[in-house]
Amino acid sequence: MTGIVLRSAWRGLQGAGFMGGVAVVTIAIALFMLGAFALVVVNMEGLLDDFGRELEVTAYLEDGIDEVEAEDLARRVETVEGVEFVRHTGKDEALARFRAMAGGAALLEGLEGNPLPASLGIFLRSEHRTPEGLAILQAALDGLPGIDELAHGQEWVDGYARLAALLRVVGYALGAVLSLATLLIVANTIRLGIYARRDEIDILEWVGASRFFVRAPFLVEGSVQGVLGGCVAAALLALAFGLLVPELRYGLAFFLGNAAPRFFDAGELVRLIGGGASLGLGGAGLALLGGKS
Amino acid sequence: MTADVKVRKPDPSSPAMRTGDAPVRMYGVSKSYLPGTWALQDVSLEVSRGEFVFLTGASGAGKTTLLKLLFAAERPDEGQILVLGRNIARLGGGGVPALRRRVGVVFQDFKLLTRRTVEENVGVALDVVGCPRRETRSRVFNALRQVGLHDRRKHLPLALSGGEQQRVAVARALVGEPEILLADEPTGNLDSELSTGIIELMMAAADRGTAVIVATHDRSLLVRSGRRILHLENGGIVEPPEDSGAGP
Repeated sequence: MTGIVLRSAWRGLQGAGFMGGVAVVTIAIALFMLGAFALVVVNMEGLLDDFGRELEVTAYLEDGIDEVEAEDLARRVETVEGVEFVRHTGKDEALARFRAMAGGAALLEGLEGNPLPASLGIFLRSEHRTPEGLAILQAALDGLPGIDELAHGQEWVDGYARLAALLRVVGYALGAVLSLATLLIVANTIRLGIYARRDEIDILEWVGASRFFVRAPFLVEGSVQGVLGGCVAAALLALAFGLLVPELRYGLAFFLGNAAPRFFDAGELVRLIGGGASLGLGGAGLALLGGKS
Repeated sequence: MTADVKVRKPDPSSPAMRTGDAPVRMYGVSKSYLPGTWALQDVSLEVSRGEFVFLTGASGAGKTTLLKLLFAAERPDEGQILVLGRNIARLGGGGVPALRRRVGVVFQDFKLLTRRTVEENVGVALDVVGCPRRETRSRVFNALRQVGLHDRRKHLPLALSGGEQQRVAVARALVGEPEILLADEPTGNLDSELSTGIIELMMAAADRGTAVIVATHDRSLLVRSGRRILHLENGGIVEPPEDSGAGP
């Protein structure tokens, strides 16, 4: 039965002609728009990740902690949930850095000894660069002896989290609206195709075809048209990316800094084409919902 | 095909002769498409296995409506229709296809799939029941040989004459060995000789045990056949006219 359904779907695709082309182009246009937005989002998220990677929580150590104790403390902090790695800065290194930043010795001439504390630079994993991640770290460090004070860019972390969340919400909303619009257009296109083949459907029903037998080829056709639309959209996106990115490199550098714009990887392309298949299948399903059979 | 209509007794060993009840039974059936106007009114009839019945009447008398009711393309407004023991009015979504697989239908305008070959058109009746491909091919070939079109099985319907297309439609209706065969003006577009050939094929099906109902207003066929005639007038069954050639 599956073979018969697939053969019937193949015949339908061969005979779909103009209406089939309209369905493929509609899906391709919608996925092109969604894909273009997704490209912007993945590149901006990459930039936000870069910013996030520079986020450092500093734990100042109490005076009297020697190098061995500090290294031991650093190893203990590395075991805390969400910590990616810890960098230990000794008192002498901190003073040397301060001197380098001050740009001259005049400011430090009257300084007796080294007033700067040793510290641990703590770097969190990307998924823990959130207020919740910082709270976990704070709680873990509170119980550790030798740590005097914790300093971090809480406001920056909050802002980072808000921007990332906003970007995702906008992406989901735009995706949902575009998907719904595409689904309705594809459903109507496929419904027109069904009306054009009404005689064929009637004949199949009169000889005793089941609902599955009549409907399944349309669902297969919708899926195939969706895959084709997805492939067309992916090809157009690759073409547009290849042509536009070199032309817009200065403008993109303003938004992306030193990060190089990237195209979808293989997995993301498969998801784009899979999205096309889902739109085609969903559109065909929607078109058949109101059908007589 | 010859011009004479052969009459043979039903074959009780045929698969279509499995139960004893009449496969077609209608009791007090009425059908209306417009309020106050009856396409069929209080129609009762029975057609037995192996019986060949002509359904006659003027255009608009209700012949097509009666046939449509029998393959569940329409539902009755009143009365009861039992086809192969199933109550048409109570058939669910899955019951209609199951019933139609046991009922062959031939239409005046053939209703062939124009983008499929002759053998694919005939094979579709077996495809819908999931018949294996090899068996389908063999049975389709035999059905087309019966109607004399096996050498044209790779042609598209539009490459055939009207008579040939109707024979394809008959082959499609018969290939599944239906227990009931319904034909709506199957000879309406054909000349006398081709008409006789088509009717012969259907009578042969009746001889194998199929209950056959043929709607027609071709009097020459009625006169020669000597078969039972059900005459419809104003939506009801009446005595056939004297000159109709009604059989005993």
